[in-house]
Amino acid sequence: MIATISRYIAVFVLAVSCSGPLLVSVAAAQTQPAPKDEYVPVSQLPPQEQFPAARLVISAYSFVIVVLFLYVVTVARRLTAVQREVERLEADVKRTSRA
Amino acid sequence: MPKWFFPAAVLWAVMFAATPVVIAYAPFEKDMGLVFKIFFYHMPSAWMFLLGGILCGVASLRYLISNEARHDRTALAAAELTVLFGLLTLVTGPLWARKSWGTWWVWDVRVTASLVSWMIAVSYLILRRYGGPGAEKLAAGLALFGMANVPFIYISVNYWRTIHPMTSVVPKLPVSMGMPLWFCVATFLLTFTLLFKMRVRLEEQRTRLDAIYLSLDT
Repeated sequence: MIATISRYIAVFVLAVSCSGPLLVSVAAAQTQPAPKDEYVPVSQLPPQEQFPAARLVISAYSFVIVVLFLYVVTVARRLTAVQREVERLEADVKRTSRA
Repeated sequence: MPKWFFPAAVLWAVMFAATPVVIAYAPFEKDMGLVFKIFFYHMPSAWMFLLGGILCGVASLRYLISNEARHDRTALAAAELTVLFGLLTLVTGPLWARKSWGTWWVWDVRVTASLVSWMIAVSYLILRRYGGPGAEKLAAGLALFGMANVPFIYISVNYWRTIHPMTSVVPKLPVSMGMPLWFCVATFLLTFTLLFKMRVRLEEQRTRLDAIYLSLDT
């Protein structure tokens, strides 16, 4: 009798310990934050918020500025090269037609 | 370049330099704090990304119908800007998400659809570069799929369960946040317009160059 009860208790403990992580993950999934439908402004930023966010903000702004600058440079260089070649060829054509 | 280009470029330089100052005056968001400031560059980039996709699709459709080369040049310029602004969106988004969502990336509907749209624009450019003769028509067909994805990207957050903010956040913004946002949108729109004009001009010059070489051969 005692052996049977202790066997049931062992099975119960085993079942709970196996299903524990599953229950925790289900609970975590259920507590997923709801999507925002509006932004609310605050005047003061908590001090612990500042440093990690600052690196991300600076990275984002730097990336946008650097990429836009590089793109402008590449387009300007390509445009200048093509325009020079057009002018050179047009001058050659004029010279050939005169001769 | 047209007469308006250089005054517009000066105006753009002043506006772009002013954006960090304008954004600094915007308040922090209650839950996100400082990292929310990425929003002021992320969202205008995303809108220009979608605008590029629409412009490329419309120009491609007109090219397929009329077979006029100027529409093809417009589509090519718009595709390159779609890749550029898509890259800005897809990099600034994860930098924002790391702090506000606790992860760099989620396979959320809007994020995934944006990545797909960006890859379509990259495919368009690869096809134009290495596709050989007739690639213009194939690329134009591809651009139509890119354009079809744009409304899906925009409305997806309202129909799917996702942690991405809904489209209602922008109309509900208080004036203190809305003014800096619209200033940044205007600056990015001017950036897009100037880059687009430069890129179209480049394609026009290339066409002119090809015509000269062709006349020299004959």
